[in-house]
Amino acid sequence: MASAAIPHPKRRPPPFRSVTRSALLTLPIALWALLMFTPTLRSPGLNQHIGAFATIAFMTALFFLMMRTGKTYRWRRWFFVALGFLFPVGFIASLIHLRGSMSISLEHMLGGDTPFCHMVIPMIIIPAALTRTVIFPGSILPTASNPHSIAVMIALWLAFTLVLGKAWCSYACFFGGIEEGFAALPKHIKIRKLDPRLRLVPWALLIVVAVLSAALFEPFYCRWLCPFKTVTEFPTVTSVQTAIQMAIFVSLFIGLVVVLPFLTKKRTQCGFFCPFGAFQSLFNKINLFEIRFDRTKCVDCTLCQTACPTMALSAQSIREGKTLLNCMKCGACVDSCKKHAAVWHLKGTPVAVKPERARLLFLYGAWALATMLGGSILANSLATIIGFLPLR
Amino acid sequence: MHKRFLAVFAYIGAALSLIVAACTPFVLLGAFSQAVARTGIHVDAVYTGGTISRTVMRDGYQVDIYRPVQPHALQNVQPFVQIAFRPADSLPLRFSDEIDLDGDGRPDVRIRLVVPKDRNARPTGEVFALNDAYRSFRLPGSDRGFSELIAQSNGALLVRVPINSQLASR
Amino acid sequence: MAVSSISTHAAEALLLGLATGPVCLASCGPVVLPWMLVQPQGLRVHARQMTLFLAARLAGYLLFASLIWAAGAAIARSWSDHTWMFGAIQVLLAGGLLVYAAGWPHAHCVIARSDAPGLVQIASPPTQSPQPRARGAVMLGFLTGINLCPPFLVAGVRAAQLPTLAGALFFFALFFAGTAVWFMPFLSLGVVRRTPSFLTVARMAAVLLACWYGFTGASLLIEKAIYG
Repeated sequence: MASAAIPHPKRRPPPFRSVTRSALLTLPIALWALLMFTPTLRSPGLNQHIGAFATIAFMTALFFLMMRTGKTYRWRRWFFVALGFLFPVGFIASLIHLRGSMSISLEHMLGGDTPFCHMVIPMIIIPAALTRTVIFPGSILPTASNPHSIAVMIALWLAFTLVLGKAWCSYACFFGGIEEGFAALPKHIKIRKLDPRLRLVPWALLIVVAVLSAALFEPFYCRWLCPFKTVTEFPTVTSVQTAIQMAIFVSLFIGLVVVLPFLTKKRTQCGFFCPFGAFQSLFNKINLFEIRFDRTKCVDCTLCQTACPTMALSAQSIREGKTLLNCMKCGACVDSCKKHAAVWHLKGTPVAVKPERARLLFLYGAWALATMLGGSILANSLATIIGFLPLR
Repeated sequence: MHKRFLAVFAYIGAALSLIVAACTPFVLLGAFSQAVARTGIHVDAVYTGGTISRTVMRDGYQVDIYRPVQPHALQNVQPFVQIAFRPADSLPLRFSDEIDLDGDGRPDVRIRLVVPKDRNARPTGEVFALNDAYRSFRLPGSDRGFSELIAQSNGALLVRVPINSQLASR
Repeated sequence: MAVSSISTHAAEALLLGLATGPVCLASCGPVVLPWMLVQPQGLRVHARQMTLFLAARLAGYLLFASLIWAAGAAIARSWSDHTWMFGAIQVLLAGGLLVYAAGWPHAHCVIARSDAPGLVQIASPPTQSPQPRARGAVMLGFLTGINLCPPFLVAGVRAAQLPTLAGALFFFALFFAGTAVWFMPFLSLGVVRRTPSFLTVARMAAVLLACWYGFTGASLLIEKAIYG
């Protein structure tokens, strides 16, 4: 009579928010995305239209899911990984269209055709402050052969930093998604124990690249240490020195961007190497949005520490109810916390009182900017890929 | 009361950040870019060649002579003077010229170049210094980076003549 | 006439030092910065260490001045023989920085792991922080004092042209004074709070800079060995 106990199927928790409410909250983002891509939709080009529509749908859908599920990290990661893998496609295509090659020759440097990237910003500050000289072979304003000019990139960085602080590294950086993608691949962590001192390496590198860039009057990180030269542009290999530089770039890319993220499920390049990330961490001091911990709910299960992709949490910081300075505001800890102790927070307001309000205020700004910058990169890259497909 | 004020300011700040985000593509990006450009920052003369000192007209082309460029700090570049022949397309396949770099009325360098019509091919030739102030060189030859080159860029043929100083090389 | 000649040379040396100080700073700053960051907190400690450093640097300057004067200005002019010396000094500087990064002058400061928030606690903090040893300051100061940066050689050529050894030494001492002014801002690092993570970052920076100096020094030596 008593049959073997049949386990009840696991009940899914109810969605965070109803479809209607989620849709209403998503509407501003959908309209914003349409607005961002209106110039593209008005200009001719079927590939560009397809890329634009796909991106609008993608960004809107992800935001809707953020609202519906109450989770941030997983949906943000879809966007970020897509950005990381598609950016090189569009960028390389535009390099080949403009220059015929990924490598940048002496002639292109003389012509100011080197695209400016945000990673250079910490290196140019001291020389620019002392001599008003930018130690980068680019152009101040956009030109026909170089749309990625110095002034535009600095302006973008400034706007993003005012709104997001270090969340640039989660919503804007077009490189970080590559390693986040590799970190997401394995189910289990293969290397669990990581020395906490690793999170200090970016600071040491920041000091070194800033000092050496000022001393040598050249962008030191770009010349010797940037792993992403492997998937963007790089100086033509014409000597032993440039060959050594290329070997360093490729080794760092394979090690820090592919292999270590795969083994540790952490963003090892971002968290343990990137000097721009350390520089950007400084702006977390003044940014209004942060993640805090409600000590009345926290049970010190350390799930958040395991989930954090950049080791921005330690036992001591959690005891104090906050993250470390290098927090990228990706939301991984908040989403992993089963007790809802980790919450989004607006500085100046009480902790854990209406955290969803803080999250929404942050996400609207972050997603708007992400759609503007990352979305345009995605659309452009998709249009490029469609152009390569033999569809006829 | 104090906490209430803080919360109000916090929400005002959050609202402002949303406004900044919304204004970025329409207003702020352009305004910030122009502001950056207006600070007077310029790309290092080692890359651009510096500013034009004077222009000399020739038959069919012009010669822009730039101000001497001195390296900053420990920059691994020797001092040089850039000369630009414009437009590069109007130059014959082989041509030579004598240029007065310091404006004293006497030629300082003699340049003999082979200028391929293919813009992607690098020109070759010889720069012969007519006095001790400058250094002769020939390309193809040893790679001296930015201080000694012959290249085509932006429709001009650029020649950089290294300035001879007793401690110029390392 | 002699007095005016001396004062002219003095002014020339001082102005040369002041004018070329930024290049000296660029050359030696990457060594001085991490070394100063690793020093214990305190203006007095920093002033003492900086004094030792500059004194050793002056000794290096004066040694170079006497050698240059004895050998003549031609030595300073001919570059081809200098590459190996420059490379060797770079490698020695790298070694000096590595020794500092390993914590040699401050044996008690063993950086240990801990779960402090993003910080690394000093394993066994001493009851009384001992004074940093003079050896490190003297070694780094002397090595930077004989580091052949361009302004150094300009001054060397000039000093070698003076009629007496005393004149050359005087010239170099004043040139040194002009360059030393540019190192004074490093004293302000003494007020920065030395948290354990700060020290760890400083040591890491010292290691990275040591790698750079070692690489450039070794490259110069290899290039000299292969190409002559």
